Amino acid sequence: MITLEHYLVVAATLFSIGLVGFLTRRNLITMFLCAEMMLQGVAINLVAFARYHGNLQGQVFVLFIVAVAACEAAIALALFLTLYRRNRSLDSTDWQTLRELGVPPAVDTEPLPPAPPETPDIHLPPAGIRPALTTEEAARV
Amino acid sequence: MSLAAVLAIVGFTLLLPRPRGRSVAGGIAALLAAATVFVVWLDTVYGHPMADRVGTVLFWLFSSGALVFGTILVVQRNPARGAIAFAFVILSTCGLFLLLAAPFLMAVTIIVYAGAIIVTFLFVLMLSQVAGPSNENDRSREPLFGSLAGFAFAGLVLFTLYLSTSPQSAAASAEGAIPGPPEQRLPIRVLAEEERKALREAVARLDEAEARLGPEAGSRDDRLSYFEAIRDMIATVVGSSIPTRDGSLRLRLEHQPTQPGVAPELLRKDEQAQQVLHRADRVQQLNDRTFTAVEGHLIEGKPDRDAVRAQLRALREEVLLLASATELPSRTVANLGFVLYSEYLLAVELTGVLLLVATVGAIAIARRKGATP
Repeated sequence: MITLEHYLVVAATLFSIGLVGFLTRRNLITMFLCAEMMLQGVAINLVAFARYHGNLQGQVFVLFIVAVAACEAAIALALFLTLYRRNRSLDSTDWQTLRELGVPPAVDTEPLPPAPPETPDIHLPPAGIRPALTTEEAARV
Repeated sequence: MSLAAVLAIVGFTLLLPRPRGRSVAGGIAALLAAATVFVVWLDTVYGHPMADRVGTVLFWLFSSGALVFGTILVVQRNPARGAIAFAFVILSTCGLFLLLAAPFLMAVTIIVYAGAIIVTFLFVLMLSQVAGPSNENDRSREPLFGSLAGFAFAGLVLFTLYLSTSPQSAAASAEGAIPGPPEQRLPIRVLAEEERKALREAVARLDEAEARLGPEAGSRDDRLSYFEAIRDMIATVVGSSIPTRDGSLRLRLEHQPTQPGVAPELLRKDEQAQQVLHRADRVQQLNDRTFTAVEGHLIEGKPDRDAVRAQLRALREEVLLLASATELPSRTVANLGFVLYSEYLLAVELTGVLLLVATVGAIAIARRKGATP
């Protein structure tokens, strides 16, 4: 028998995974998706309680959560666009000049791994000219 | 439990992207070990859920899906793949909603999240695609402390849950040592099974009762006794006022609560039990009034047949509502709409205003500086 507690445990775990992501990731969009995942954890909680109380109040709350999440998505998207236009990056640490007074800035000590070498473009022979055959190819023809 | 948390911390620390020391294989192994320990713990503490096979399998499928894809979202380097993983989290959550009898919420969540938010963010990600390693995708902020904070939080919540539901605490509160809040022992069965059955039987008989009002349905005494039987059936549960006596519902709830593990004062304070008692009082009054009218109609023909029929119908509705109290109604969507537009009308209006303000705000914020309108 799946009990209320099973759902509560899943919801709490989903919430805390979202919390870890929100605290550690630096990409603004990933942070936002993690916050949405925390909201999903809360929603599971409310629906499970609604089911076990036998009323619909919990489901109504979840509807409002969804509406607020949609508003939040619209505003967050607009803010991310503005921030991205300013310095061409979605890194939240770029904005650490906004931190509190007296807090040391976060400094990245480890260097980033080198970018993978770009694969050279393939050069096709110009159209209309027959390429010269190598000796091996000539032997096969 | 703490072993699972420690393993999860190790796994997340290893998997979170950073330039050096990231070990995907070790991280996945640690997370798998954490999940195994966690499932074993859940199984031993909350029992083996094997009675309802399909529901059980679906529950484990959806909940593990949500947790696994949530983990992928957190540890994934590529934000576009993270967004896809988030879509799968949403789908799993929607499966859980369906298991919890919330089909409308499932549809709304899929449409709003998977349909709107994910697609919008994929567009933004495409616009801001960076080539090669970058600060925002390949570095994490304090991987160890972040996972520590998150899982310490989870551990605290689960530990509190465990304390409030463990067998020892239930036994202790049954003895009256720890009076806990009522939501710990859900669902409280306010209506006993036989009471529910009697009420449903009364509803079935009320369905046929309208045909028996006319003289063609048998002698007057037969019809009178038929209606009296229905009245008594309802009165045994809700009580009656003509010979003043309590129904079994009030007796059981207020005077001799027999529910195992639920203290008497707990049941009396329970809001749901109070609501059911209130409804039972209404049914009792209606029951007495209706059958007085029926007797009057059958003996003297005083209230005419249409009025009596209307009263019988009203009684039938009320009894049906009482019989299905504390159960989620089968027409969830219709009832959700009803609740939304009666009890929460103001909140719905406020949400509409909020959406409008958000739309205007988003456009105002995202407008390019100096762009000609």
